[in-house]
This record gives sequence, C-alpha cells and structure tokens, in this order.
Amino acid sequence: MQKKKSFMLLFAIIMVLTTVLSACGSKNNENPGNSSETTNKPATDATEQPAGDGKADTSEEVKIKMLLVGGKPIDYDLVFGELNKKLKEKANATVEAEFLDWSDWTQKYPLKFAANEDFDIAYTANWAFYSDQAIKGGFMELTDELIKANMPLSLAAMPAVAWEQSKVNGMQYMVPNNNPEVTDKAVLIREDLRKKHNLPEVNSPESFANYVKTIAANEKGINAYNAKAADGWKWHELDQILLEQQNEWNLVDYSMPLAYKLDDATGKIFNVYDTPEFKALVTYYKDLADNNAWSKNVVSNKNDVWQDMKAGKTASYAHTLGTVAMNLAEMRREQPDVELAIADLTPDKKKIAAISTQNGFAIHATSKKAERSLMVIDLLQNDKEIHDLFMYGIAGTHYEAVGDDKFSATAGTPNYTGFSNWGANSPMNRKDAAYPVEADAIASAWQSKVYNFDLETFVFNDANVKNEVANVGNVMLRYAIPLEYGLIKDVEKGVADLNAQLKAAGIDKLQAELQSQIDAFLASK
Amino acid sequence: MNRRGFIGYVIKQRTLLLMLTPAVLFFLLFAYVPMAGIVLAFKQFNYTGGVFGSPWNGWDNFRFFFESGNAWMVTRNTALYNIAFIIVNNVLQIAAAILLFEAVGKWFRKISQTVMFLPYFISWVVVGAIAYNLFNYDVGTLNSILTAVGLEPVDVYNTPAYWPYILVLVSAWKTLGYGSVMYLAAIIGIDKEMYEAAEIDGANIFQRIYRITIPNLFPTIIILVLLAIGNIFRGDFGMFYNMVGTNGLLFSYTDVIDTFVFRTLTTSNEVGLSAAVGFYQSVLGFATILLANYAVRKYDKDHALF
Repeated sequence: MQKKKSFMLLFAIIMVLTTVLSACGSKNNENPGNSSETTNKPATDATEQPAGDGKADTSEEVKIKMLLVGGKPIDYDLVFGELNKKLKEKANATVEAEFLDWSDWTQKYPLKFAANEDFDIAYTANWAFYSDQAIKGGFMELTDELIKANMPLSLAAMPAVAWEQSKVNGMQYMVPNNNPEVTDKAVLIREDLRKKHNLPEVNSPESFANYVKTIAANEKGINAYNAKAADGWKWHELDQILLEQQNEWNLVDYSMPLAYKLDDATGKIFNVYDTPEFKALVTYYKDLADNNAWSKNVVSNKNDVWQDMKAGKTASYAHTLGTVAMNLAEMRREQPDVELAIADLTPDKKKIAAISTQNGFAIHATSKKAERSLMVIDLLQNDKEIHDLFMYGIAGTHYEAVGDDKFSATAGTPNYTGFSNWGANSPMNRKDAAYPVEADAIASAWQSKVYNFDLETFVFNDANVKNEVANVGNVMLRYAIPLEYGLIKDVEKGVADLNAQLKAAGIDKLQAELQSQIDAFLASK
Repeated sequence: MNRRGFIGYVIKQRTLLLMLTPAVLFFLLFAYVPMAGIVLAFKQFNYTGGVFGSPWNGWDNFRFFFESGNAWMVTRNTALYNIAFIIVNNVLQIAAAILLFEAVGKWFRKISQTVMFLPYFISWVVVGAIAYNLFNYDVGTLNSILTAVGLEPVDVYNTPAYWPYILVLVSAWKTLGYGSVMYLAAIIGIDKEMYEAAEIDGANIFQRIYRITIPNLFPTIIILVLLAIGNIFRGDFGMFYNMVGTNGLLFSYTDVIDTFVFRTLTTSNEVGLSAAVGFYQSVLGFATILLANYAVRKYDKDHALF
C-alpha cells in the first residue's frame, strides 16, 4: 500500500515537471526555430520546386487555410464546397477560410500573426496592415521564381505597374488585385427627402451642408448624417472628401496628419491640422454639429451606419463610390419606395487612381504550402469558373449570370456577400446589371480626371519613429476626433490645443523623417 | 526518518504538497513563465525573431510613454480610481455584510444577498451597453425622464466630469455582493460568546457593531486592502474599455494605463511599447505593496502580509 502511494506521488510529480518543462521548452524553442525557418523558406522553395518542369509538384492533395476579413457568409459551406471541387480538380488543393468579423478585425488580425497561427493565405490591403505586417515579417517574400512557377495566369494578366506598386522596400509580399478603380469617396443621400424639402442638388460642400441642416431641422427621429466614429479611425469620415479631395491633397498614411499637394513634384510634407483649410473645415463641421446634423453621441456610436440608413434612421453617409453604388442597388431591390442618390461633393477636383494594394492576398511567412497557395490565388483571380464561384457564389442561387460580364442579384445574394473576397478582383469581375447608371457616369467622369504622380507608390517605413507614430495617433483620437465632430466649443482653441499636443507628441521629428524618406524616394525615380 | 532529509520530508507531507501543487502550477504557468516576456519591453519586435530572437533596442520602448505627456495623467487616473474603488467598495461591502448579519428573517437575507450578487455575473460588455442606453443623449432613459419632467437633458458622453462618479458607482454596484460575502464569512467567524456577553452587559446593537464586529474585522480588512493595493496601478480594463470605449473627449478623466496601452497596441500594433508600459505598471505595483506592507508592519506586526 505504502509503496503504491509513493509511486502515485512520484508519477504525479513527474507529470507536473513535464508539463512545466514542456511549457518552458516550447516557448524557448519555438521562436528561434521559426525564425530560421522563415528566413530560409522562400529561398528553398524557390530553388527546389521550379527545378523540374517549372511547376510545383501537385501529386499530393493539400488543404490551404485562408484568413479573410468580414463576416462569414451564410452559405459559406455550400459555396466553398463547390469551390473546393473545382480547386481540387485544377490544383489538387482545397481551401478553408477563417473570417474575422468587421466589428473587431483590426484587433484580431495582427494577433493571428503575432501568435503565428496556422494559415497560408491572408487577405491584406493598404488599409489592412499591408506594409506594417510586411515590415514586421508577417508575410513571405514572393520571389520572381515563385511567381513565375506558380502563377502563370496572373503573370500574363497583371500589368507590371500593379506588381511594382505592391512592393514594400523593393520586395514583393502581395498578389495585388487586378482592378483599377478610383478610391475617392462620395456621399449617399436620401433623394426623396431632398425633393420633399425642395432642396437644390447636392454637389458641393455648401449644398451638402444645406441638405443635412434642413433634414436635421425638419425630420424628427432621423440623423441627417451618421458615421461610425468609435472604431479607432482617426479622421472624420467626411475628411477624405472635404479635406483631401477638396484641397487636392494626399495623406501619406492615415495614422498621421501629414500630407503633400498632389501637384507638388517636390513632395513637400505639411501638417494638415496646421493649415487654414483645416480650420475652415472644422468651423464647417462645428456649424453642422450645432445644427444637430449628427448625434451628440456620434463618437460612441457602434451601429452599422448602412443598416441604420436602410432602417430609415440616417439620411446620409460617406463611403467609396463602389460601396455606395452597391448600397443604392440594394435599396432599389429591397425597398423601391425609398429613393437614394449618390452625391459627388468634389466633382471638379483631381482624382487619385487606386493603387493595386487596395486589395490583395499575401502568403503567411511561416506557411509550408506557399506554392500551392499561390496556385490557388492564381485560379481565384483568373480562372473564370473559379473566379465566379469565389466572387459571386453559385450561379442560379446567389446570382443570375447576365452575359459574360454582368450578373443580376437574386434572393440568395445576401447569403454570400460581405467579406473580403476582393483580393481576387480582376478584369473577369462581373458587373451588377442593376449597377446604378449614375454611379457608372460618376466613375467614368472620375476616370478622366485621374491624376498620376510619382509619390503614388511611396510607402512610409515607420521603424525609426514608432514612438512618435503611437503618440501622434493617440493625440488624433483624443483631440482631433472630438474637434472634428464639433464637440469642442471653441474651435480656435481646439485647433491650437491639438497642434500643441501634436508638437509634444513629436510631430516635427515624424515630419522630418517622412520628408527625408520622400526625398530619397523621389531622387531614386 | 530524519536521515532521509528532503525526500523523507516530501514523503511525509505528500498529501499537503499534492494539495498545494495546483496552486503552484497555476502561478508557475501563468505568472512566472510569462515573466520572461518582460524582455519584449527592451526589444524591437518582429515576427521572424519572435519574443526572444528580435533585436534589442535598450530603453527606446519606454520613450513613447514618458514623452507622450500621457504618463502622468494615466498613472494618476489609474491610482486615483483604484483608491476610490478600494475605499468606496470596502466601506459599502462591510456595511452590507453587517446589515446582512444583523438582518432578521432567513428569506429576506437570502434574497437580498442574491440580488446584490447578481451584477457580479453580468459581463462588462453588457454593462457598457446598459450604460449607453441609460445615458445616451438622444434616446437614453435618463434624458427621456429629464425631458419628460421638463428639465434640460444632460450630455453624459461628452462631459468628462460626470465619469468619475459613474465609474465609482458602477464598480460599487458590481462588486458589492461578491465582496460582502467575504466580510460576512469573517463576521460569522466571530465568537458568538462575545455578543452574548455584550448583550447581557446591556450593549445596544450599534455598540455591538462598533465595539465587537468592526474591531474583529480588522485583520480581514487589512489583508483585502493590502491585496488590492498591489494592483493599484492596474486599471480594470474590461470596465473602462466597455464603459468609455474610444471616446477621446472623456480620456482626460477616464483613461487608465491599461486602456492607453490597449489603444497603442491595436492602433499602432507595437508589442514592445505595450510590454514596456506593462513593465512600468509592475514595478510601481511592486513598490507600492512593499511600502504598504511596511506601513502595516510598523503599526502591527501580526497583520502584515509578509
């Protein structure tokens, strides 16, 4: 008995020690192990595989894990089941996607990389941590060999400039989407309410102010304008239109208030908060806020603005042209009695062409299935059948094909939409047959005003100034957002406070660093 | 037995040691092993190097916190909120425990205890949503009542000065039931004979509470307060984040170290900076608890933690 007991005890102690040791051990070993793996991986991949017939070995079936942003579509299993049949046929691979919901993807996305979770393809974009993750080593470098060996279709279809634009520090980390568009924003308004109150057409900042003020004064229970200001975005959601487009400026990075003029070939950087244009804009916002154009609690708002608009609780909001056009089509389909319109507040200004990094797919740095992942991306983007499945779902269920390049929505459309499959955008994209003609008209008018400039492809590397970037970001959230939503009584003092805080946070150092990088970039052109 | 030394001792005390194992294991795994992560505070983190392989960068990560001008404000907020929570919550919990102890009627006691305990189980996310529905300007309950009786609506979400009161109140509401259980247990442990003797001597209920219950609670109070003081530089993240969110206007009154770190990590994605601030919190917390314990020792050696 006594012996048995002490044996049990010994066993327990051994168990305890092994768990503790293995916990320590794995922690110590894993990371250095990974580091050598990641640095070597692309090189070995590149040299080993194409040695044969230039194509990777596909005899073994693999499962590719994808990280996508957005809510999981209702018919995910159905569509991906069908998609996997095709992918298995063509690349002997199947995909399985994980979805990071829109509500908290900004928090989860970096953690997936930090925890080195097991996934192969990640959706990425210039607005979704692309350069940040690339610099931190989250993505695998896509060498020319890798691309040549595994992506024949993309190589043929993608313009060289798209590849060039998606390089970070001269290295390729992304398969960009292949779909030139303009990223400028427009405002979606309630045309029926505008007509009801006999307002002139909304096509300038002034007429927009007139519209929202009238709605706010006369329509009870409706927010004239709404935004989701509490999600960590550091700007007023009209800033892109009223600050950037209106003044023909371009912000280098949305995490800091530094911009240059589009037509300034020397790329001189300035602090936008310290300009008379900004002060005028804040005064404009203040006037709207004082007239109850938006809720006093707008910075605590956590609702989806488009859903609010559909429910008739919001009378305007700002988004990219493509999104508002889709909203418009959706509303026409679901509530034909509500009339919406797209308002372009800056019709005559220069437009910036979307750079290719607006959407794309990257390979996780520690993925062991890089070649096959690239093949899958190649097919998603360029194989008509697979592209249609991935982008629009199953024909007849989720969409109705109209010719080769259009589709019309069906009752099943909402069951397969709303996530970032845009990385596979390509000239094969179908257009919504119900796509509003006015959006098309605006888009083609914008295309004619597209302005190309050298700094388009510039990417800021913040490694030397991350303290300043963090502090400036905090100042923007704390001082700029309340100021822009008209919550600070004294505009004059608010702007002065904001700039004083920015100075303390090191905006000058940030500006100097950025300017030197831009100068070097322009000199190398 | 003696000759077998340590092994003999282990065998002799095996039951107690085995009972101790889960606690030791817990702290090893969740407190001591992760401590190695402190090195991140002195590193420029990247994925390829990971926690231990990333290059060192000295005190660089600390610069942002102290140069931001926020260090003093968030440290002050954290400490002041925690001091307010410790005082208010403990006083209320002790009062509630005494009332429950003195209350007559088993049913009344059980029901009131349950009602007090209930908020403890509500997640902060839900509490945040409830608060938003109470306080929001356009359709909040509070403003609906105020306007219905002809008063001016109040703009709670844009007025920082209200928030210290709201937060202290919410914290008290949420922790009252849980805390009072501990004090109630301590009161029940007090020797009944003392109360009987006092009653025979003609002491009324207030005298009994003041002369017997409270003095006997002192050791419990000191231990609980000392433990709380160790965490005085750690803000209750769930509470502050869900109640305030990223409402920049309120930060001057509501930003605590933890919410500040969270924003820095998620909007700028810099692990090293956050680790640096966590390190700073730990050092401050360690110093405070040493100091508090020293003060208690001076006052009464038996009541000190160590």
